[in-house]
Amino acid sequence: MGIDPARPALLEGTAPRNVFTRRDHHGDSVLDADVVVIGSGAGGATIAAELAEAGFDVIVLEEGSYYQTRDFTADTSAMVRQLYRDGGATMALGSPPILYQEGRAVGGSTVINGGMSWRTPDKVLARWDRELGLSGIARELEPCFERVERRIHTAPMDPEAIGNDNLLLKQGADAKGWKLIGNLRNQAHCAGSNRCAFGCPTGAKQSALVSYVPRALHYGARIYADVHVDHITRHGKRATGVYGRVSGSGHRITVRARLVVAACGAIHTPALLVRSGFRSPSGQLGKNLSMHPNVKVVAIFDEDVTGWKGAHQAFQVREFQDQGLLFAAVNMPPSILAMSFPQRGAQLGQLMQHYDRMVLAGMLCEDTTTGRVRTINGQPQAFYQLAEADAANLKRGVVLLSELLFAAGAKRILLPFHGAGDLYGPDDARRLLNRDIPARGWEVVTVHMMGTARMGTDRTAAVTSSFGQVHDADRLMVADASLFPTPIGVNPMETIMALATRAAGHVIDNATRFLS
Amino acid sequence: MTAYRHSDTARQVLRSLVPVICPPEAVLLGDAIVEHMALTLGASPQVLQRGFATGLVAYDLGALPRYARRARSLRGERAERYYAWWEHGPTSLHRQLARGINQLMSLSCYEQPEMMERLGYRPAPWIAEVTQRRLTVYRDDVQRQDAQILAPDPLRPGVRVKRERA
Repeated sequence: MGIDPARPALLEGTAPRNVFTRRDHHGDSVLDADVVVIGSGAGGATIAAELAEAGFDVIVLEEGSYYQTRDFTADTSAMVRQLYRDGGATMALGSPPILYQEGRAVGGSTVINGGMSWRTPDKVLARWDRELGLSGIARELEPCFERVERRIHTAPMDPEAIGNDNLLLKQGADAKGWKLIGNLRNQAHCAGSNRCAFGCPTGAKQSALVSYVPRALHYGARIYADVHVDHITRHGKRATGVYGRVSGSGHRITVRARLVVAACGAIHTPALLVRSGFRSPSGQLGKNLSMHPNVKVVAIFDEDVTGWKGAHQAFQVREFQDQGLLFAAVNMPPSILAMSFPQRGAQLGQLMQHYDRMVLAGMLCEDTTTGRVRTINGQPQAFYQLAEADAANLKRGVVLLSELLFAAGAKRILLPFHGAGDLYGPDDARRLLNRDIPARGWEVVTVHMMGTARMGTDRTAAVTSSFGQVHDADRLMVADASLFPTPIGVNPMETIMALATRAAGHVIDNATRFLS
Repeated sequence: MTAYRHSDTARQVLRSLVPVICPPEAVLLGDAIVEHMALTLGASPQVLQRGFATGLVAYDLGALPRYARRARSLRGERAERYYAWWEHGPTSLHRQLARGINQLMSLSCYEQPEMMERLGYRPAPWIAEVTQRRLTVYRDDVQRQDAQILAPDPLRPGVRVKRERA
């Protein structure tokens, strides 16, 4: 059946040279490097690879384990246990609570994301430039985007990899006359296994694990997996390295470095900074948490869809992007789908018999409110209250998405809130607009956490500079989605990578200062 | 990930709930479903593990006033009615525990190979098929991308940092 969790998949193969796992530690270690990067996801792997190629001696510490493509199997729950922080059961507290998911493995969340590779929208960059003092950010990021896209092979899908669930989404959008675009994804001929969220088993998704991580290793970086960083060491306001522990053994690991880069994501980066004693004069550290709340509907068709055969999110409906809504088809394995249904017993069985005739469609909502990450006993806890305006926008999105799916031929739609009943036609969908749906009844999830160490030139309003250097600290940078001053309304991976590339350029340009 | 084992109480309560939550065709898989739930819980935060275990004890004992026996001993209609009472319970804690049990057990139920097979969900052969197709049809492009990953392409051409060790 499943993979025995006591037998890490990495035992199935030899890790590359320069990758060290818990099995390589036989006592406490003290290491030296020019740069220590905490986290190996979109931001950490990118900056590590760029700096290693430029000649910096780089160490990357990753809390999760090291897996390779051959370790990614069809065993869904085993993959969730191995690749997701807390088995995917992390929650932002509020009404409703929002389930959020983060990768915890070498490669970070890029190992489990859908692979959407979009540049930061022009209107967002214009706002950052105009309102937040990030003058010229669009111009400076342009070559970074190009470079990132080359590295991770951002490309449209091959038509033969597109599955029926996505074709039905397109059919519905076409019938409604709505704008739909082919998704750009970091994939080299995606094979359509629809396993993006559980580690791409074909190697087609160009996650950091198979792009920036091997590049960093090739240019001499060292990666230490299974290391939990307790805190950043410092001398006054100057970061001097990190102190952590090896998971399982408890062996201590100390890295002395001239530059520390925190790239742990928008939940864990602020907590790491706080428990290391860094404070931001702006008072913004941990605040400004955006989440791109996401809800899903399940449409049942008369004909077989077999949505698990075909690429994940081949298209995006962009008709309502200006109103902060994106739609996509997002097939999930039966076990994940079953756990989202309130039905049980025979009713659950009857519903699940339709699995191959279901289209799971989700929406991303650009949020207008923010939450915060508090550090409690050294651990982060996210708090986020869905704004009424965003709940209303989500409801409107559910109605529009349902109309689209009915236009594609759906016969029944299951909704993402409890007790709402199912929809059997577009009129049912439109009637939803007049119904009061309490926020606590929504099933909201997200994988896009942003903004908790926002960048900006004004140190009284921002935690870091536009390059991610922490204001009021020395030799300390942030390179993840914490930097985003606002939500960006599209999938954040490429923006994170581009910002990390730009930050790497800044470090290289000022190498003498950073290495002194 | 920590090692997690169901307590005897948790195991018996969960075992008694399999016919309530899982489809009839899954009831014979009850032991495997309950064991699978332990794997999932083992990956979750300890606070959730403890809360879940405590909740199951409360669920077990909560049946005594009404049925003069623990929940683990309830069968058929009585087990169904008792779970439904929690499902629509008087506090959000009742409802959250019932929902949590439902979610975890449904996940574990449909992770059983027999249940996936019933739905025609066979991802492993599909993965093998499309992987092979990709490596055959697009072999040259795949190799080019693999080579590109490692090829020199410095961010600042001509710059090679010289480290100054203290």
